[in-house]
Amino acid sequence: MVILCAVTLWTFQDNPRLSAIRELAVDTTAGIYAVGAAPAQAWDGVVEYLESRKALREENAQLRQANLVVEAQAQRLAAILAENTRYRALLNSTALIESEVMVAEIISVSADPARHLLVIDKGSRDGVRKGQPLLGAKGLMGQVVLVGAKTSRAMLMTDATHAVPVQVNRNGVRALVEGVGDIDRVIVRHVAATTDIQIGDQLVTSGLGGRFPPGYPVAEVVAIEGDPGAAFSTVIAQPIASLDRGRHVLLATISQPQNTVDP
Amino acid sequence: MNQPQARWVIWFSLLIALFIYVLPLPFEWRWYRPEWPLLVLFYWGLALPHRVGIFSASLTGFALDMIHGTAVGAMAMGSVVAMLVILLNYQRIRQFDSILQSLTLGLLVSLALLVERWLHNLVGLGSPNLAFMSSVPLSMLLWPVIRNVLRAIRRYYEVE
Repeated sequence: MVILCAVTLWTFQDNPRLSAIRELAVDTTAGIYAVGAAPAQAWDGVVEYLESRKALREENAQLRQANLVVEAQAQRLAAILAENTRYRALLNSTALIESEVMVAEIISVSADPARHLLVIDKGSRDGVRKGQPLLGAKGLMGQVVLVGAKTSRAMLMTDATHAVPVQVNRNGVRALVEGVGDIDRVIVRHVAATTDIQIGDQLVTSGLGGRFPPGYPVAEVVAIEGDPGAAFSTVIAQPIASLDRGRHVLLATISQPQNTVDP
Repeated sequence: MNQPQARWVIWFSLLIALFIYVLPLPFEWRWYRPEWPLLVLFYWGLALPHRVGIFSASLTGFALDMIHGTAVGAMAMGSVVAMLVILLNYQRIRQFDSILQSLTLGLLVSLALLVERWLHNLVGLGSPNLAFMSSVPLSMLLWPVIRNVLRAIRRYYEVE
């Protein structure tokens, strides 16, 4: 039995021959999560149903206004994007990677408190694959780590085993944001004391490593810890996406760059 | 040694424990989630050691590992080790009074969690502090309830 445990410990996660069993395990356990989450969801449904007409109308009006603002911004964005593409063409650099998104619903949060894993309701049948970036409304949330046929598991970027290559939005300084297991805190280790990172800087994905599309907001710097004499300091940042709220997430699909030019 | 009887009750109670285990909790409260499946498993190990043993423990552990979605086999090893202790000492543990029994069960749950954490560290899923033990006190408090409910169920269905 001990040997069996040891063998599964080493092979189950990665062995390609076991992918069918892995998918089955992911889907079955997602079913258990769905049943466990059902009472809470039913309660939410009741609350939603009992919500007064007035409150709904107010919310509707608010959403209409917000939508108007967002649409106006999107118009400008299209123009800026076109302009940016032209400039990039002039500079002979690669075109921005276009990414499409798919909406998935969060079924539950994994029961293991040491890991930050979400159970989501899209799987390989919907085109989900391992490593796919997970986005919230405001920014990057994490990536898919286990894929079943109909469901999958996604790791939040605050998990202690997760890291994202980023750059500072203000000046392009590159860094690596690591999770530490706290839902409202990520860190950048080993930042040279002379590096230009300030409190309030926004860290966005740099696209290095090829896993995350560039340009998505990741975290905002809230503190910089370091002795004045030390060579390196540690930057503490707060995730921009609201990781422990909401029921829906976006899965980004990265398509290949359109016109790659050799440098 | 009697014929097995109403064994489905054992599996059904373990399944119910898994469902209760995955009830959604606010994000930071997850540390205090009681180890329902382990407690139910340990009850059956104490009550019917000739029916529920190493094999059932490993099945429960594998189920827990897959529910966690992390290293499959870690909790299986943990529950197998704890179950071994039960199988060697069930006659003694049965005689303990309620408080001592709760403490013992707390120890057994900690043992399973420690083995799990040790194996997680081995495959690089380390967690920095002892927060993973936060679920033990609540599990200890819940043990008398679980024991009495399961004992009533066992007598009602005459599980053997």
